[in-house]
Amino acid sequence: MDYLSDFLSQTRLRLFAAILMSNIALIALGLILHAFLSLNVATIAAVLVGVGIILSFLFALLITDYLSAPMRTVWQAIMYLAPDTTGIAAPDVKKLKYGNSLVTSMVNQVYQLASVSSTAKTEESKKIGDISRNFIAQNLPLPFFVLDPTETIKFANQAAANYLGIQVSDLIGKNVYMVLDMSFPSEDTFDNWLKKVKGNSATASNTWERVKLDVRDTHPTRMFDLASYYNQSNPDGIETLLVIFDHTKLYSQEDQAVSFMALSVHELRSPLTLLRGYIEVFEDELGQQVDESLRDFIEKMNAQADLLMAYINNILNVTRVDDDQLELKLTESDWAMVLQSAIDSMKLRAKVRGITLNLKIEDNLPKVGVDRLSIQEVVGNLVDNAIKYSGESREINIESHLAKDGTVETTVQDFGVGIPSTAVPNLFTKFYRDHHNRSQIGGTGLGLYLSKALVKAHGGNLWVRSIEGQGSTFGFSVLPYSQLSAEAKTNENREITRSAHGWIKNHSLYRR
Amino acid sequence: MVEDNKQRTVLCVEDEHFISELYSRALTKAGYKVDVISDGKEALASAKTNNFDIILLDLMIPNLTGIDILRALKDPGLQPPLKSKIIIITNLEQSDDVKADIEKKADGYLIKAELTPSELVDYVNNVK
Repeated sequence: MDYLSDFLSQTRLRLFAAILMSNIALIALGLILHAFLSLNVATIAAVLVGVGIILSFLFALLITDYLSAPMRTVWQAIMYLAPDTTGIAAPDVKKLKYGNSLVTSMVNQVYQLASVSSTAKTEESKKIGDISRNFIAQNLPLPFFVLDPTETIKFANQAAANYLGIQVSDLIGKNVYMVLDMSFPSEDTFDNWLKKVKGNSATASNTWERVKLDVRDTHPTRMFDLASYYNQSNPDGIETLLVIFDHTKLYSQEDQAVSFMALSVHELRSPLTLLRGYIEVFEDELGQQVDESLRDFIEKMNAQADLLMAYINNILNVTRVDDDQLELKLTESDWAMVLQSAIDSMKLRAKVRGITLNLKIEDNLPKVGVDRLSIQEVVGNLVDNAIKYSGESREINIESHLAKDGTVETTVQDFGVGIPSTAVPNLFTKFYRDHHNRSQIGGTGLGLYLSKALVKAHGGNLWVRSIEGQGSTFGFSVLPYSQLSAEAKTNENREITRSAHGWIKNHSLYRR
Repeated sequence: MVEDNKQRTVLCVEDEHFISELYSRALTKAGYKVDVISDGKEALASAKTNNFDIILLDLMIPNLTGIDILRALKDPGLQPPLKSKIIIITNLEQSDDVKADIEKKADGYLIKAELTPSELVDYVNNVK
């Protein structure tokens, strides 16, 4: 700007004048001393040096004060506007004797910039405010939340407040996880997704189904689908949008199906309880009196009752797996004991088919972490299958050993009809039964599907190896308790809770 | 089968006559004195006055549910406090949290279909 070159030439002129004046003064002083006092050159030089030093000092003082006046005025103007200083008056530029035009210009610039930034600030808050004034956002019947980059709720509409039973004003400024205590049906939680997209994506969106929300005591659990949109560089301080699509009614109706199942199971179990009771009475009290073939029938009746009970439990547990209701409590257990007792309860079912169960358990297996009843159901299902598909074969081998990967592996091997390789991929599917055998062999087709889910919930794996016409080997692994104990340490009951593919808590709630 | 000189007493709260018949037969043979009551209110009154050693409690019974009876008998304010052990015995499948809640209050939780009468006797023998 011209003001600046004006200011520079003014400064140069003043400095030049000041230095020239002081030089002239020194020369004049020297001439005076020489002409009127007739001092010799050395004395004059000494006096001139002394006076020169004093003059230079005074000059430095003056010039600092004088030349820095404009700078101080600008500084005062800035401080006057700065938000965190108080009591600094606006500078009076008119009083300034030198650099006036440049300083006036600079101060105006400062004022202008400050006003721009303060307008910008109000603009920004206006944008957030815009959402709160936005007719659609405000009146959207769907609960709607806006989060800033720290996952703090910047805006929530009235529908959100109603949904949670909280005032809008109590939602704003809260961390979203403190307000929404959500449980997701899988590890794909909102929290995990947000963590993943932050820093990796500029924008992202995702939806989740069957999210559960525990509202306060007075409200029933909410169930809904959740949609979220993330935008890293949104200039309005909005990073994430959340919309809730409530399906509490629909989903809880579906949950009613579980209680329908529970009632059906109850109705099935009642006559079964009685049949097993009467069979036992016959066994105990008639056993010795009736002839061999009738005693054989009683045993068979008993075995069939056991099988029926196992089916009923399968139906119940499949319902639980499918609805994420299955919860396993893995406790430290002696595998040999667990397996032995599972096989013991299968012996009758094998015996009435003329089949022997050969059990071989490796010594010194580590303690395992299992839910006893569930894992015994797995063993039961595999042995039931082996019995079913044994054909003419009369032996089933059950064997347990420590696998190379440190897990405890158990195999159930039959020498029967085997499984065609084309059928293997479908084997663990619900209601699937081997095509060739469907007409000859009964069953629900739930056993392997359920067993796989149960083993997986134990952290293990279920596999099959089969040659058609030679038999099948099913194997599954369970984990040593020590491998699970890291999980158990955080759990005071020394019990590890797992679900089949169950509800995973949104752990961010506990992160802060 | 019962080592105590005193005969142990069992209250069987069960409205299915066939089942209570089987249970009382097996328990009586094992040396227990068994009372069978099929009505919820009557069962609660009897449990409060007769101090049974063991109460086998079904959940689905007329007039009071098994859970109501359990809650009333395990009420810490109950005078005199009840020393009976209460075993829930049912075929009803509960959601896990309801079941956990019942298990906390009761001294045992059994599924009828999974027990034969003699297995029930074995279980009761071990309730101290």
